[in-house]
Amino acid sequence: MKEREVVIGHRLGLHARAAAQLVQLSAKFRSTIVLVRADDAKPVEADARSILSILLLAARHGSTLQVRADGSDEDEALEKVCEYLSG
Amino acid sequence: MKSSERIIRGVVAAPGITTGHAVRAFDPTFISFNFKLRSDQVRPEMDRFRESVDKSRRQLRRMQVQLKKRSGPESSFLIDAHLLILQDKLFVDRIVEKIENEQINAEWAIQQVSDELFEAYDRLQDEYLRERRGDLDDIVRRLLHNLHANEQLSLKKLPYDAILVGRVIPPSTLFELRSQRVVGLVTETGSPLSHTAIMARSLEIPAVMGAEDLSGIEPGEFMILDGDKGMVICSPSKETLEEYKPRVRSGRRIPTRARATAAPVATVDGVRISLGANINFGDEVKAVVANGCESIGLYRTEFDFFRDGHEHDEESLVADYSNVLKTAKRMPVTFRTIDVGIDQKSWDGVNSNLGVRGLRFCLENQDVFRTQLRALYRASIHGTARILLPFVSTVDDLDAARDIIADVRKELDRKRVRYDSSVPVGVMIETPAAAQTCDLMASLVDFFCLGTNDLIQYYLVVDRSDQTVMHLYNPFHPAILRCLNQVYRLLEPIDKPITVCGEMAADPPSAAVLLGLGFRSLSVSPTAFPRIQQMVRSVSIAELRALANQLLNMQKPKDVEERVRAAVEAKQ
Repeated sequence: MKEREVVIGHRLGLHARAAAQLVQLSAKFRSTIVLVRADDAKPVEADARSILSILLLAARHGSTLQVRADGSDEDEALEKVCEYLSG
Repeated sequence: MKSSERIIRGVVAAPGITTGHAVRAFDPTFISFNFKLRSDQVRPEMDRFRESVDKSRRQLRRMQVQLKKRSGPESSFLIDAHLLILQDKLFVDRIVEKIENEQINAEWAIQQVSDELFEAYDRLQDEYLRERRGDLDDIVRRLLHNLHANEQLSLKKLPYDAILVGRVIPPSTLFELRSQRVVGLVTETGSPLSHTAIMARSLEIPAVMGAEDLSGIEPGEFMILDGDKGMVICSPSKETLEEYKPRVRSGRRIPTRARATAAPVATVDGVRISLGANINFGDEVKAVVANGCESIGLYRTEFDFFRDGHEHDEESLVADYSNVLKTAKRMPVTFRTIDVGIDQKSWDGVNSNLGVRGLRFCLENQDVFRTQLRALYRASIHGTARILLPFVSTVDDLDAARDIIADVRKELDRKRVRYDSSVPVGVMIETPAAAQTCDLMASLVDFFCLGTNDLIQYYLVVDRSDQTVMHLYNPFHPAILRCLNQVYRLLEPIDKPITVCGEMAADPPSAAVLLGLGFRSLSVSPTAFPRIQQMVRSVSIAELRALANQLLNMQKPKDVEERVRAAVEAKQ
């Protein structure tokens, strides 16, 4: 498993369109990809392939997310997803 | 989990008492019902759900293609979001799991999962994101719609004696379900005048509308629906159920073979009994005429008057009443002037059985009373109308009412408005005071109507709307028999028509007692009409008179009832 922190670069945060694109991107990899928002007291996790869970993450512009990728293509997955999230 | 008894009140929309299991209606647009599955139904139900997901996906893809052609990729990402929801584990997989693990139908599973998600959305701080629940809502509707379009399993095969529970139930749905075991209907919205209520009455399905909050009713929960009082009792206790049992039976739907026949009704020994119908709404007249009733013995005008919570203006009342009289052909129609009682939540603040009711209300709200009277007289040229004054307790009230009637007529004379000057004016005997003094009122009225529902409540000091004393409400109480006997003896020498129009006249055994006491004219709800007609034709007045004489000296209500049932039911 690989993980990395990333700051959301999208102007509107992870809103509908960004979330949809993230799901489509994540679907290209075999690894499981999880986003964790830890700025609140209770960390919130989201499956990067579930649009509903990403939206419920309510990650705003400038907030920090932890991205975890686990699987045969975890390096590439982590790289691409973080690249996308940082905008 | 066993729920405890809860009472939810609403308004009377269609009469009758029934028991059944709640089937929850979900989503007003694509009405559907929630219920448990048998284990062999689980697999097909999961397939049914997956098919509706596939179908939704195909529809959305088609839409996306069209959108791209027309307006470029800009707006088609919205469809992407919908499509992604349809493959979202958080949504689709959880619904499938629920169907499988909890053995519930797809609609119910969709409702549960989407409700959880909606809640999560509502907790978000971000207003824009909160609005995204709209996408989910849209998907839910699409899925429900496609579930229906695929196969109407949920609609066509209701699993038990169903009482439909929902915020809204469209009339078309009720009609589609008519051949099913739908035994009752309760909704949060709607009024007695809604099309669903009219449909329920014509299908003879008891209904309660405008109920407070139905969200706590579990699918499959057993309940009593009292369409006569406008309430439902969820998870009734054994005691409550016992109390209701005899009435549930009498309120059951009449099989078609027991339809009334038009011929005059007479007892075995040839005594003519006049049978009329009680109605709450003008739109019931047509069915009553078709059913062969001889008269509308009681039209409770407040139901129509307070529809939508507002009083009508005079012109529309004239139109409505004229229509009622025309539809009734020359059959007499007894218009009971407005009675606001505890059964009708129609007038805010008026809910005391011992307060401003019936004529008292009219005398305090003379504008309303005069408007109604003017409308009644103006409509009277279209048929045979009678005016009945409710809840009278003193001759003074009667005097006051007669003065107002005379005044209204003078006004019409002055304006040269045509009306029937021979419209009889009668009094309702439904308070102990009126029962004791009915002979003293005789010179002031043209006819009498005996309202046993209220009379019993006031005589036995039992609030009809109070569950805790309901078991004490008993028409076979010797006090009631003696009271009715006294009223009959007081009025016998006075040659003016008397009709009994309470529930007592609608249940064959108690109706038989009325005949034994001497009464010859009964008015009952259209649903009760066939069974009362059948009872009358099976009894002999000579026997009933002898029976009544014995009953008057019996001590206990229970013994009276047993005796009567044995005598009457043996004949049926």
